[in-house]
Amino acid sequence: MTITDGRQTEPAIGPADPVAVDQWYALTALDEIPVGRAVRTKLLGVPVSYCRDHDGAPLAWLTQDSLPAGAPVDARTLDAPLPTMADYGYLWTTVGEPGGALFDIPETAEPDRRILNAGTFGIFTSGPRAVENFLDMGHLPFVHPGVLGQQPFTEIVDYQVEYRSSEIYAVNCLIFQPKAAAASTSGQMVNYTFRVPHPLCALLYKSTPEDDVRLDVIGLFVHPIDDGRVRAHLFNCLLDTVNTDGQLRRFQQGVLAQDKPILENQVPRQLPLDPDAEAPTRADKTSNAYRRWLSDLGMTYGVVASTQPGL
Amino acid sequence: MIKLYDYLLSVNCYKQRLLLSILDVPYERVDIDFYPGWEHKGAEFRKINPLGHIPVIDDDGYVLWDAHAILVYLASKYDPTGSWYPVSDPRRLGEVASWMLFAEGTTNTASAARLHVSLDYDFDLEACQAGAHRLFRVLDEHLWFQEQQGQEWVASGESPTVADIALFPDVALSEDGGISRLDYPALRRWTERVQRLPGFIDMPGIFPVAKAPA
Amino acid sequence: MTAPEPGSLLHPVASCADLVPRHVVKARLLGQDLAVWRADDGFINVWADRCIHRGVRLTVAANDGAELVCPYHGWRYSNRSGNCAYMPAHPSDAPPRRLRVPAFRSEERYGLIWSGGSPEAEPPRLPHLEADDTLVLRALPVNVPPDLALQGLHECSYQLGPAAGDAASISCDSAGPFAVAVTARTGSTEEIVVHFVQPVDGGRCVIRPVMRGTPAAGRRLSILRHHARQLEELRARLESSAGSRVTVRGPSTALEPLPRPSTTAASGRAPQLEVSVARKWLTAEGIAAFELAPMSGQLPSFQPGAHVDVHLPNGLVRQYSLTNGPGLTSVYRLGVKLEPDSRGGSRCMHDSVHEGDTLQLSEPHNNFPLRRDAARTVLIAGGIGVTPLLAMAQTLERQELAYELHYFAQSDDHLAFGEVLEPLSTGLVKHLGLSPDQTADEIEKITHDYGAASHLYVCGPGPMIEATRAIAGGSGWPDDAVHFEYFKNESELHDTSTFEVRLARTGRTLMVGAGISLLDSLRDAGVDMPSSCEQGVCGTCMATVLEGQLDHQDVFFNDSERAAGNQMLTCVSRAAGERIVLDL
Ligand SMILES: N[C@@H](CCC(=O)N[C@@H](CS)C(=O)NCC(=O)O)C(=O)O
Ligand code: FES
Ligand SMILES: [Fe+2]
Repeated sequence: MTITDGRQTEPAIGPADPVAVDQWYALTALDEIPVGRAVRTKLLGVPVSYCRDHDGAPLAWLTQDSLPAGAPVDARTLDAPLPTMADYGYLWTTVGEPGGALFDIPETAEPDRRILNAGTFGIFTSGPRAVENFLDMGHLPFVHPGVLGQQPFTEIVDYQVEYRSSEIYAVNCLIFQPKAAAASTSGQMVNYTFRVPHPLCALLYKSTPEDDVRLDVIGLFVHPIDDGRVRAHLFNCLLDTVNTDGQLRRFQQGVLAQDKPILENQVPRQLPLDPDAEAPTRADKTSNAYRRWLSDLGMTYGVVASTQPGL
Repeated sequence: MIKLYDYLLSVNCYKQRLLLSILDVPYERVDIDFYPGWEHKGAEFRKINPLGHIPVIDDDGYVLWDAHAILVYLASKYDPTGSWYPVSDPRRLGEVASWMLFAEGTTNTASAARLHVSLDYDFDLEACQAGAHRLFRVLDEHLWFQEQQGQEWVASGESPTVADIALFPDVALSEDGGISRLDYPALRRWTERVQRLPGFIDMPGIFPVAKAPA
Repeated sequence: MTAPEPGSLLHPVASCADLVPRHVVKARLLGQDLAVWRADDGFINVWADRCIHRGVRLTVAANDGAELVCPYHGWRYSNRSGNCAYMPAHPSDAPPRRLRVPAFRSEERYGLIWSGGSPEAEPPRLPHLEADDTLVLRALPVNVPPDLALQGLHECSYQLGPAAGDAASISCDSAGPFAVAVTARTGSTEEIVVHFVQPVDGGRCVIRPVMRGTPAAGRRLSILRHHARQLEELRARLESSAGSRVTVRGPSTALEPLPRPSTTAASGRAPQLEVSVARKWLTAEGIAAFELAPMSGQLPSFQPGAHVDVHLPNGLVRQYSLTNGPGLTSVYRLGVKLEPDSRGGSRCMHDSVHEGDTLQLSEPHNNFPLRRDAARTVLIAGGIGVTPLLAMAQTLERQELAYELHYFAQSDDHLAFGEVLEPLSTGLVKHLGLSPDQTADEIEKITHDYGAASHLYVCGPGPMIEATRAIAGGSGWPDDAVHFEYFKNESELHDTSTFEVRLARTGRTLMVGAGISLLDSLRDAGVDMPSSCEQGVCGTCMATVLEGQLDHQDVFFNDSERAAGNQMLTCVSRAAGERIVLDL
């Protein structure tokens, strides 16, 4: 659980939003990070750089002129190193004071799981819009037809949204899917659980063709470059003995590439938290809960804050 | 059977899939783990194409790379009507060649911007976007005048050519690279005409269009 | 004189030629993004470029000729009204009427589409362009603010001469706040081009030149090319002097959307809409068809299966289903069968209502909603019962969803709305001249294999609906898969009981006496109950029942709804015991 109690002071760097600043963010998949060579990016609009040192350990720092992109890096010469973690296959860092560990994904401890970054995509959108899209079931038959949904089977029957230790869970979310996973051979009704443990990270659990009990876990970890541009990492923790990494990636990347233009055509790019700003229906309960939850946290980065007080 | 070394999200590979689908030619896809595996840069793949680029086709041992060259080959060999690559009409053929070269430009600007935004390719985004806008202005004007003459496609004549295929994905996916088509109404109409061709298939990121009226 | 506010004027947003069929033009005016599209019936919609559901631009929606379909969750928005017509996540819900994309004015003049402006504003009428045809030249988007473009057009007008005019004398005058007219004279010939400037936003504009007259066919293309070339040169100059990258965006002026269709709040039995009979014709033996057009503004949206209450000149109120498919939003189209034992409704519609007459209507109500997520949809029509099913069939046809429309009628001459049936050919099956037994046999065949996600809709004479329900039930169709709508309640009504009604919300108690309906008793007690048919058919006067046994006399509920006992129609149904409690 990474939601801090909310510090009293404004962050020293980055946007004036302690909720957004005091989080861990996944910058890049560990095995895609060059060893000993600087890579430049931004986090919440703050220029940051990263690499792996020669032992493979991740490094991140506030970008300094002396280390242009591609420059050899010596960890001892960094002016302003940032805290890092290597979890779930990604380099996590922060420009604030997260004051806690990352959320837990217990399934990652199971030995037969396939854990991989299926792809990282840059998208012109805000973190919250990207997360909301990941939590949205109603779009599956339209944006991922023939794969994650199929017209005319578009109904979203009622499901339940719960809060468990200040995370959001949406359970019993049912939808008909022609090809639910890379390993699927036929269409089926699929039961999803969605989980939001972090303002810009979400997970989903869905039944898998290969196991009657356990569930596939897929995550979206957002790296907010700024409040209108993100890199979205698709985290896979699957029960799949059939497909190669390449096949799993082809499947997931195809899905994300279908979402990208939708997200890039949403206006405004920031997620409106005012309940009247857009017109939700019963099918959007998870998205409503997420907006409300961000409002309650006091998140202001990447959103259009609600003008309605006391929500 | 034709083997296509392919990556789902590559516009240049999609151009081949699109033409093959329109010509209704069976082929076998060899998926390259382009990203994040960089398989096309590996020693194995460089035995096939030393440039480390996809698409590449292998048609019964005949190996060819470069997207627009492959389009020329496929149309010449597999289009019995001869209309997609009109060798029998020198003027049209010249136009096709000219717009295919133009498409190298849209690939290197519009589609490069897309690779930068989507996959962190090391390109100057603003330069790519500005370059794409310069080319789109030219193409929009050309297509507008084509329409004024009752012409629907990039090269003159009644039917589309490989030049349309070479240009289509660079234009249709330009917004992936942050290049709006607000200023190009004729381009927007033309992409829809391409999408209504019999045998058209899309790639992730292309919005569906409604059928033409009966 | 102070310059008018840009937002109070109409501005061009597209040329008419841009609006090709099944396309959505992307435009921007004074900072407002617009989706501009022409429906198959020719109507031009200028809408805010934003799906009200989750904000996706409607310029990436599909124009199916009648509706825009948002690519994110498939919401459909109707031609003209901009109302949401369908939310696929909720296939049996009628979207609330407040769900509507803001729509702006659209006017055509000089080959351009004009929008924005205050309600009384008109597109400019220029002496330069009147009294002749016009030729729309190539429009050019320019990355400079509109005022710089206007200034540039004035200053450089000398370079905007005609194609074949070395000796031309060129003059230029302002043709309103956002246009520059360039007149070139060569000998006795005169070429006039008015350059309209569309203010896109604070940093951009589109120059839209319109030329007076129609050039000879042989010269048209060279004229177009010549002017395009000249304007491009002007653009190059303007953009380079304004700096290569103008990034000013805004200030944006809020455009004023069109008002919503005005109807009074739904309640009681007051009519809400005034329409005129635009067309009346005999569509089949004994069936008159009517097209009703709004006296002002637009008609409220409706879903397939909906009906309106028609307030007849003789004081009666009758319900008629709308036959409209999704494309038809300019009129409501009804079919009325002359009933031999007419209580005066159909007789009055046939004999006393004529083209040009004015009628009062309710807003459309829908008690017979169509699901569009079925694996199989079966529509069974008996005679005039075809009307709501026609609306359904056209909707399914347009969305390319499979359906069967079984139309039972006496003979070919009794088939109504042939022009609507014609294009339905694939789904339509006619059953002509069958006896009731033969009809039952046919229905047996149609319904005998029930499969999951199948839905059946039946409308026609009471006995036929009953037979269909019984046959389908026998073949395993569950209650909630069989949808029906009666046209009238043919059962005998009993109103001799007396009972007590407690109104849970207000805490009041009233007595309903013999010969008086519950609905009237409620109204006497000051409860504002809406109603329509008052025969237990339409469902308008429904109340939620909290306690008590019911004596249902309606033909509205199905057996499971009846058994649930938590809803009743107050116009005909009564308490079975001595007391009921209503959630009122
Ligand atoms: N000129 C080549 C370029 C193709 C190209 O750029 N392919 C991309 C995929 S869309 C690629 O393989 N890129 C690898 C690289 O540029 O290193 C062609 O037309 O095929
Ligand atoms: S955003 Fe348009 S339908 Fe959901
Ligand atoms: Fe998606």
